[in-house]
Amino acid sequence: MKVGYWKYSMFCCLVILIAIGSVSFDNKTDDIRFVIPKDWPKPVYNFSKNKLTQAGFELGRKLFYDPILSRDGTISCASCHAQWSGFTHGDHGLSHGIEGRKGKRNSLTLFNLAWNKSFMWDGGVNHLEVQPLAPITNNAEMGNTLEQVVKTLDTAKGYRARFYEAFGDSTITGQHVLKAIAQFLVMFESFNSRYDKYVRKEPGGEMTEKELSGLRLFRQNCESCHKEPLFTNYEFENIGLAPDDSLKDYGRMTITGDPGDSLKFRVPSLRNIMVSYPYMHDGRFNTLLQVMDHYTDGIIAGPTLANELKTPMILTLQDKQDIIVFLKTLTDKEFLIDSRLREVRE
Amino acid sequence: MVKFCGSLLIAFSLTVFIGTPCHAQAKIDGYDSGKITIIFEPVFKDKPLMLHDQYYVDDNNDTLYIDAFRFYMTNFQFDCGHYQKEIHATRHLFDASDTATYTITFDPTPGWEYRELNFTAGVDSVINTSGANEGDLDPVKGMYWTWNSGYIMAKLEGRSAVCKTLHHEFEFHIGGYKSPYNTDRKVYNLPTSFLWEEKSDLSNIHFPQIQTHAVIIRIKTDVSAWFRGISLAKTNNIVIPGKEAAMMADNYAKMFSIVEIKRY
Ligand code: HEC
Ligand code: HEC
Repeated sequence: MKVGYWKYSMFCCLVILIAIGSVSFDNKTDDIRFVIPKDWPKPVYNFSKNKLTQAGFELGRKLFYDPILSRDGTISCASCHAQWSGFTHGDHGLSHGIEGRKGKRNSLTLFNLAWNKSFMWDGGVNHLEVQPLAPITNNAEMGNTLEQVVKTLDTAKGYRARFYEAFGDSTITGQHVLKAIAQFLVMFESFNSRYDKYVRKEPGGEMTEKELSGLRLFRQNCESCHKEPLFTNYEFENIGLAPDDSLKDYGRMTITGDPGDSLKFRVPSLRNIMVSYPYMHDGRFNTLLQVMDHYTDGIIAGPTLANELKTPMILTLQDKQDIIVFLKTLTDKEFLIDSRLREVRE
Repeated sequence: MVKFCGSLLIAFSLTVFIGTPCHAQAKIDGYDSGKITIIFEPVFKDKPLMLHDQYYVDDNNDTLYIDAFRFYMTNFQFDCGHYQKEIHATRHLFDASDTATYTITFDPTPGWEYRELNFTAGVDSVINTSGANEGDLDPVKGMYWTWNSGYIMAKLEGRSAVCKTLHHEFEFHIGGYKSPYNTDRKVYNLPTSFLWEEKSDLSNIHFPQIQTHAVIIRIKTDVSAWFRGISLAKTNNIVIPGKEAAMMADNYAKMFSIVEIKRY
């Protein structure tokens, strides 16, 4: 009697499991669609060379969350790019990788990457697909090689079938690892903050007097670099941060070799800025008020300082607070809790 | 799941189908019949290149050993006269440690005359900015820079007592695709000059063994060209794009010369 009951319930479980399984398989096709929001510029990423598919996206997600990519199996991409903080290393100044080694720079937020003309604070990486090579091989990050990653994945459970599903080939190649990760990353889209709804005149887009005053001040003082709607113009600028003696990071100059690029860093997007602290390429500021104080009082003059910042910005404490409340409207909760981008535990 | 099995089944039957030997490719002296085979033969001046254990002497009279030698070749083009060009999409990584990479084969066009061979030593800027590529261009090959994107067009590593470096090593990782310091180099007008016969013309008694034809082009690839005009004591580490890398690229573009064209 008891045995029979167990058998019966096992059977039920099996049926349910199969049902769940097939539902998730059947649901696969629809929700992975790249959106170009209304009035936004054309994306830079060439989708025709890497067709987005559900299988490719899911494989990319699995890779992104899998510490198997690091040499000692301890660090995944998500270790330094957590969803709650706009996919940066939330609450960390300099990111650390395997064996607790500290890197040279503050992690970057990851969203709207299809619009990037270049990657990294210094623009050293020229294409989204080759971006993961940098953390995979950096000794202070994942300390591995792509060749080794391919070998490890080849013998790891569940990967070959997924590569087959995504690319029609169960032989794992470096190219397919990189294209899969790109399919996942490119779907990090943030365009549903309160500010966006305000611009689109949608419900939920109401702004207060203070926030609107902040938006006006922002457009006067910050727009030239942090250009709407992406909140960056993707250029490189020196905003007069005092160089850090221990890091000796000259930014863009490292890539171009041009002294005219010394201390220039890529203008970061300000979307989700409330949750992506600390700030700047070395994570030196913890609060937005410290950032505002830098723009009015902290600028160190130098030959490559941005033109806009040569004459000091004049903002009252009230102005600064208004800008900060406006910046808070750039937080996109729908993106930060988007369940498609979350880790799926198997 | 069903879909997955279905695709597997198709893949399986395709494999069986394609894998069935309908006709084995005929070989002549080990070379593919009906094809042009280019063989790159690595040498150091008049000696064959041997990695690790053989010493060589450069123009500066410095004695040296070579430990690694790899380079990309792309954009192969045959100039066929009459304004005809045959363009091949081949992207090839030569690796001195793997003799399988010494040869490249091409499918010729019957009746065409093959006057000159042109190719690029390195990888052009279009490929350098096109993301993750496949085959020989896959970054698994270790010929890709990660902190400053782009291919390493050519690598030469070795040792010489004159290098005041760790283990007396020298290291040249030459790359960079942005002008003026781009390091891809056109290798122009290597004279070939032969006619590929009309294969379909089986009645032609002049070519009774039409199916057995092959052309082999041997190209000497002289590593000593890298060292022209440099002194290893001073120049022994170039691993970033720039002026020195571009100078090295001018040197390696001069590695190639045709030593023989054989017809079978
Ligand atoms: C040890 C921490 C760490 C790990 C692990 C890590 N990253 Fe990063 N990531 C960073 C840092 C730091 C930067 C900024 C580096 C710089 O500018 O030099 C960055 C930058 C990026 C960027 C560039 C964003 C932009 O706007 O330019 C992308 C994309 C990215 N990472 C994706 C990944 C992926 C994919 C993985 C996993 C393969 C990964 N990261 C693993 C720390 C990490
Ligand atoms: C000349 C161009 C320029 C102007 C004008 C400018 N910024 Fe920036 N901003 C930058 C650059 C470049 C950085 C990154 C600097 C670095 O890390 O070295 C930056 C960084 C920031 C950050 C930190 C972002 C992060 O993710 O770490 C905030 C916040 C910010 N700016 C807000 C503002 C505000 C508010 C204004 C107007 C009051 C403003 N910026 C005006 C170029 C500019």
